[in-house]
Amino acid sequence: MLQPELVRLLTEGHALVKSCDEDCLTGNTLEPRQSEDEEGNPFNFTPQLIHLHKDHELFEDGDIHRHMYLQDLYISEAVDKPTLSVSEFACHISGCSAVFSTLEEYEHHYNSLHRHMCCSCRRSLPSARLLDIHIQEWHDSLFTILAQRQDMFQCLVEGCGQKFSTSTLRKDHLIKIHKYPPDFRFDKIKKNQRTQQMKKQQQRDTTMEVVDDVCESEGACEVMCDVLSHQPEQGESMETHVSEEEATCMAKSASTEGHADLSAAAHSTENPSSEALKPRYSYRVPTTVCFGHGSVRGFRGRRGRRK
Amino acid sequence: MWRLNKVRHKDGRQGDSVEELKLKRREHEKALRQARRDRQLVSKRLLLNDDEDQPEVTMDTISGEHDVVSLLHKLQQSGPERDAHLKALSKALRDPSAQLTFIKQENSMHLLVGLLTGSDATCRLHAVRCLHELSHSPITNVAPACLPATPYLLTYLSGQSTKFTELCLYTLGNLCPDSDAVKEKLLAQGIIPALANCIENQRPNLAVVEAVGFTLSQLLQAKDAAEKIVPMVLASSLPSHLLSVLTPDPKFGLAPAIECAWCLHYLTCSVKDNRVLLSHGALFQCSSLLVSLGGAVAEGNKEEGMELFICPLLRCLGNLLSSCPAKDLSAQMGDVRIVVALCALLQAYLQTQPALARESAWVLNNLTAHSSALCSALLTLNLVPGLIQLLPFSQGINTMILRVLANIAHKKKEFCVQLAHRGLLSALCATLKMADQEMVTLSMDVLFMLVVSGPQVSEEFVKQGGLSLLEAIQYNSEGEIRQRATHLLEQHLMS
Repeated sequence: MLQPELVRLLTEGHALVKSCDEDCLTGNTLEPRQSEDEEGNPFNFTPQLIHLHKDHELFEDGDIHRHMYLQDLYISEAVDKPTLSVSEFACHISGCSAVFSTLEEYEHHYNSLHRHMCCSCRRSLPSARLLDIHIQEWHDSLFTILAQRQDMFQCLVEGCGQKFSTSTLRKDHLIKIHKYPPDFRFDKIKKNQRTQQMKKQQQRDTTMEVVDDVCESEGACEVMCDVLSHQPEQGESMETHVSEEEATCMAKSASTEGHADLSAAAHSTENPSSEALKPRYSYRVPTTVCFGHGSVRGFRGRRGRRK
Repeated sequence: MWRLNKVRHKDGRQGDSVEELKLKRREHEKALRQARRDRQLVSKRLLLNDDEDQPEVTMDTISGEHDVVSLLHKLQQSGPERDAHLKALSKALRDPSAQLTFIKQENSMHLLVGLLTGSDATCRLHAVRCLHELSHSPITNVAPACLPATPYLLTYLSGQSTKFTELCLYTLGNLCPDSDAVKEKLLAQGIIPALANCIENQRPNLAVVEAVGFTLSQLLQAKDAAEKIVPMVLASSLPSHLLSVLTPDPKFGLAPAIECAWCLHYLTCSVKDNRVLLSHGALFQCSSLLVSLGGAVAEGNKEEGMELFICPLLRCLGNLLSSCPAKDLSAQMGDVRIVVALCALLQAYLQTQPALARESAWVLNNLTAHSSALCSALLTLNLVPGLIQLLPFSQGINTMILRVLANIAHKKKEFCVQLAHRGLLSALCATLKMADQEMVTLSMDVLFMLVVSGPQVSEEFVKQGGLSLLEAIQYNSEGEIRQRATHLLEQHLMS
C-alpha cells in the first residue's frame, strides 16, 4: 500500500463529510479582505476558476498518451523516465543574474556578496561589524576629522576594544598581538584621502556625475550613494537621515533606467531637518548597506536570468 | 476490443533491439507532438481479425497488387466462391499499395458497395472488412474513396449483428477526420442520431459501445466541432448514455469507459456553458469515479491503462467546475473526499506522469477557488503538508499548488493561521527565492494574506529571517515585485 493515510481517509467516507460540514457553512463565510480598505495595496490575488480549452498546452502530454494508445503504441511502462524538474533559485538583486539549483547555494551567494556590501566602493565585507568599520574609516569625513584629535581606528578583532590613531598602528597591532597576516584582505589602507574630500564637494552640484569611489551601478544604488555622500555636509545624524532618504528612494519604484528621476526626488528631500523620522529597520543593519552591480563579480558566466 | 497487456511493437520487427524500439517510439511521439502543435492530431484504429494477434502486413507488395486485380476480376463474376474471394481481398487490402491499386480500378468501390448491401450475409461481413482496411489507409486518397458506402454503414448501425456493427463503426470513425467535406456529409446523413440509437440499442454489448465512443470522439475532435457538432450531440440522448458507460465494467475492462470519458472531455472543453451535462449529474459522476480511482491508486492497485481513464475524467471535472455556479457546488458534489483523491493522484503520478499530476493540481484549484468547505477539508484532513512538499517542482506544478494554497488562505484568517502552523511560512521563504517570476509574485500574495491574518504569523515570519529576504526583494528588477515587498515591509512588518 503506497499511501495508507489517504486510503484510510477515502474509505472512511461519510464520517468525514459530516465533520467537515459542521466546521463551516458552504461558501458564504468569506471575510471581507482587509486589503480593500488599504490605500495603494498592490496585492490583488483572487481565487480563479480556470477553464482549459481542447488545445491548451497543459493537455499536451495527456493527448499524446491517448493517441499513442489509439495507434496501438501504448505500453504501461514509460519508455523514457519523464524528467520531473525542480525550480531553480535566482538572486533577486537587479543586475545580478546568478542562478542556483539549491537553496544553500543561493544563501551562500547572497550572504557572501550582497549582505554586507559597501555601496560607495562595491567592496563586500564578511560581517556587519567590518562593514561598519570600513564605511566609517573610508567614507565618513567626520571620522577623518575626529581621527585627527583622538584614537579612532578600532582593532578589527571583536572584543579587543583597542583604538589607534592611525591605520598603520592598528595594522601593526593586528600583526603583532593578534598574529594576523600582513596582507589581511579586510584591512586595506585607504588611498587618496584628500582628493576624496574635494570630489565630494563637487558632487553636491552634479548628482549625476560618477566619481571614482562611488559605485557605478544603476538605479537605486546610485541614488543612495549620492544621498550618502551628502549627509556629512548637512551635519545631521547619519542614521535617521539615511533612513528618510532611503525611504523616499525605495518608495518610488526604482527602475534601472530612471535614476534621473530618483536623484531629483532625493534632491527635493534634502532638507527634512525637523521632521520626525521613523527608524527604517527594526533591527540593526548597516545604514549604508546597498546592493549594487558589484555582486556580479565572481559569478559571471552563470546560466539564465530570472524568467 | 483493445488488449492493453500485450506490448505491440507496431513499428518493430524481430531484429530490432530494445534501443532501436525506444528510438522508434520516441520518434513517433515526436511526430505526434508536432501534429498536435499543427492542430493535426488525428488517429485511426484498426480492428484486427479474430485470428490475428498483431497487425501483419504482407511484405510481398507486387503479388498483393496482382491479387487485388485478379480478385476483383473474379468478383465481377457471381459464383459460389464469392465470399472466399472477398475474404482474400480483405486480407490483401491490409497492404497500402494494394489499397491504392484497388481504388484505381474502375468501378471497384461500386462493386464493393454492392456486395456490402447484397443478400449474402457472409459477403457483407467481408465487404465491410475490406472497407475497414481501406478506411485505415495511410495514403491520403484512399479513405475518401469509401464515401459512397457511408449511408449504408450508417443504416447498418441500427442492426443487431455485433461484429458487423463494430466494423461499420470503426470504419466510420476512421473516415471522420479526413476532411470537412466528409464530416459535413456524415452529419447530413444523420450520424449523430444513428450513434445515439446504436448506443441505446446495443448498450449491453460493450464492444459496440466502445466503438460508438471511438467514432463519436473522432467527430468531436474536429476543429469546428464546437459550433456545429457539439450542440447537436448535447441535444441528443448521447450525454446520458456516455455518462452511464463511465462506470467501468469489471469484467470487460476500461476500454468503453475510456472512449466515453474522452467524448465527455471534448464536450466539456468546447463550451463555456455546461448546463446540459451538469443537469445530467456529470459533476457527481466524475467526482465519485475519481474518488474510487484515487482510492485504488493510493492502495497501489494501478490497473493497466488507468491513466488513460483518469486523464479525461480529471479534465471533465476541471472544466465542469469552471462553469458550475458556486452555490450549486455542494449540491452537485457532496463528497469532500474528492480532495483526498486528488492528493492521492498527485502523489502517485508525480514521478511517473508529471503531466497528470499537473492536471490534478488544476482540478484542485478549481475545487478550492470558491468552496470554503473543501478548503477546510484540506486543512482538517491534514493534506496541506503533502501539498507543501510539492512546491519545489516546476513546469506548472508548483504554481498551481501555490494557487490552491492561496485559495485556502483567501477564505479566512483562521485558515491562514493554520497554514502557517503547517509549515507554509518556511516554504514561502524558499519559494520567494525561486527564479520563476510567477512563483515569486504568488508567494508574495500568499505571504501578504498570512501576515495580515495575525501578529503571531508576522512575528514568526520575522523570526525566520523574513525581513532581510523582503529587503533583498526590494531590489528585484520587476516593479510589481518590488512594490509588494515594500508594501509588506512598510505597512505590515515595521509598524
